[in-house]
Amino acid sequence: MTSFWRILKFSFQDVSRNIWLSIATITILVLALFSVNVLLTVQALSQNAINAIKDKVNISLYLRPEASEAEILDLKTKLAALPEVREIGYISKVEALDSFRERNKNNPEIFSALRELGKNPLSPSLVISPKDSDQADVLIEQIKKNNNPIIESRDFTDNALLLEKITQVTKKVNEVGFFIIAIFILTSMLVAYNSIKVAIYTHRREVEIMRLVGASNRFIHQPFLFSAVFYALAATIIGVALFFPFLGLLQPYLEVFFLDYQFNIVHYFISNSWLIFGSQFLAMALINVVASSLAIRRYTKV
Amino acid sequence: MITLDHVFKYYNPALLILNDVNLKIEAGEFVSLVGQSGAGKTTLVKILTGEERVSTGQVIVGDWDITDISRREIPYLRRQIGVIFQDFKLLPKKTLWENVAFALEVCGENQDKINRVVSSVMRIVGLEDKRDRYPHEVSGGEQQRAAIARSLVHQPKILLADEPTGNLDSINTNEIIDLLLRINNFGTTVILVTHNREVVNRLKKRVVTIENGSIVSDQKQGKYII
Repeated sequence: MTSFWRILKFSFQDVSRNIWLSIATITILVLALFSVNVLLTVQALSQNAINAIKDKVNISLYLRPEASEAEILDLKTKLAALPEVREIGYISKVEALDSFRERNKNNPEIFSALRELGKNPLSPSLVISPKDSDQADVLIEQIKKNNNPIIESRDFTDNALLLEKITQVTKKVNEVGFFIIAIFILTSMLVAYNSIKVAIYTHRREVEIMRLVGASNRFIHQPFLFSAVFYALAATIIGVALFFPFLGLLQPYLEVFFLDYQFNIVHYFISNSWLIFGSQFLAMALINVVASSLAIRRYTKV
Repeated sequence: MITLDHVFKYYNPALLILNDVNLKIEAGEFVSLVGQSGAGKTTLVKILTGEERVSTGQVIVGDWDITDISRREIPYLRRQIGVIFQDFKLLPKKTLWENVAFALEVCGENQDKINRVVSSVMRIVGLEDKRDRYPHEVSGGEQQRAAIARSLVHQPKILLADEPTGNLDSINTNEIIDLLLRINNFGTTVILVTHNREVVNRLKKRVVTIENGSIVSDQKQGKYII
């Protein structure tokens, strides 16, 4: 235990005696982590955008106005039996008219046109929600095959193009993001390697004397490895401290984008904070320790 | 105690540093290793501390064959051999006490043992009253005494002194030599590497002379002959 505290003490001496180098190292690591977090944000947003759009996939069947209630319910039962269907909503002529009136309550011209017609011109309809949006195409094919004479028209809201575009953009962002992350990982390794090399140079006399008096390799190497882990820890903490205000600025724009869909990016990162930032710290510490080990192996020889 | 058997050291075949060195030093001996600069004295010291390896031959320290010593074993060898140098190798930002204690701290000793051992070796070298001084606040002789104190903390069986008086005036030189003799009287084998004629002649102890990497003379109560 005494040795552990001494190693820790020597490690903090490494960091504090090269304070500007330590700050520069931590800054590069913070930038690396920030870029990773921005990429995670983009991934979370695109995934939720895709889910939001998939939720809105509906198929509407407009039925002939003269179709009887029994015929409509018979069709509804047959469609509900399809394995791809999650639920079917029935909107009667009266309900359709009420809904239409509600939507156009501020448009007197439409009201007067309805009055002149003297009858309800709207068709009853069935609104079909697929169990899984990925199966929407299969369901559409099934419904197209149904030649029930009471079906007047079919409306398939086609979100496939939009989904494909979002997927494409996300893929591109990911590709660029991974390239940036790879550059940052490489830079982080070089910076960590260089920082530990300078720390060893600063402590060359201590290291020489440690060797002279029979200090174990463990005792000579570990303070530098602790410094490498400390850089990773400091970078993770500072990275988190800077990233949440950034998310706070982003959230109001997202609320407009995800109008009918509950998604809060700040909550997303808070609820996954241990997983996200914990693994970032572990990965960064591992990268630093590997780079530092190479520097130690090279520069602390007898 | 120390045996060097047909030791050769070269960095390339054309650059022979040690040439068939055979040397046996018994426990408790005081041996002066003399020779001009570049004769191979320091290489011999480095071989004994594991810093260099022999090209061919065998080196035994105590019962330990260190000819092919591994990097992992070197720290344990160095705890058995105290070493002092001409440039003292003290840390300027530590007091004399802290410099001596540092040797035990980095070997993982507990604080009680450190306090006890450091007090004892500081008393042996006569620096109890200057324990809180920094190296730049004391004389060269006192700095070398602190270095000797540090080399004694592991109670080594062998003390290697590589030109310990090279930076000292005659008064301090005599004090350091007296201290080395006193340590030798406690039973520690002392190997003094020097080219100080007066010191060697005053000691009247065994003198081994090296020239161009070979031992050219080994006298029981020798003198400086080069």
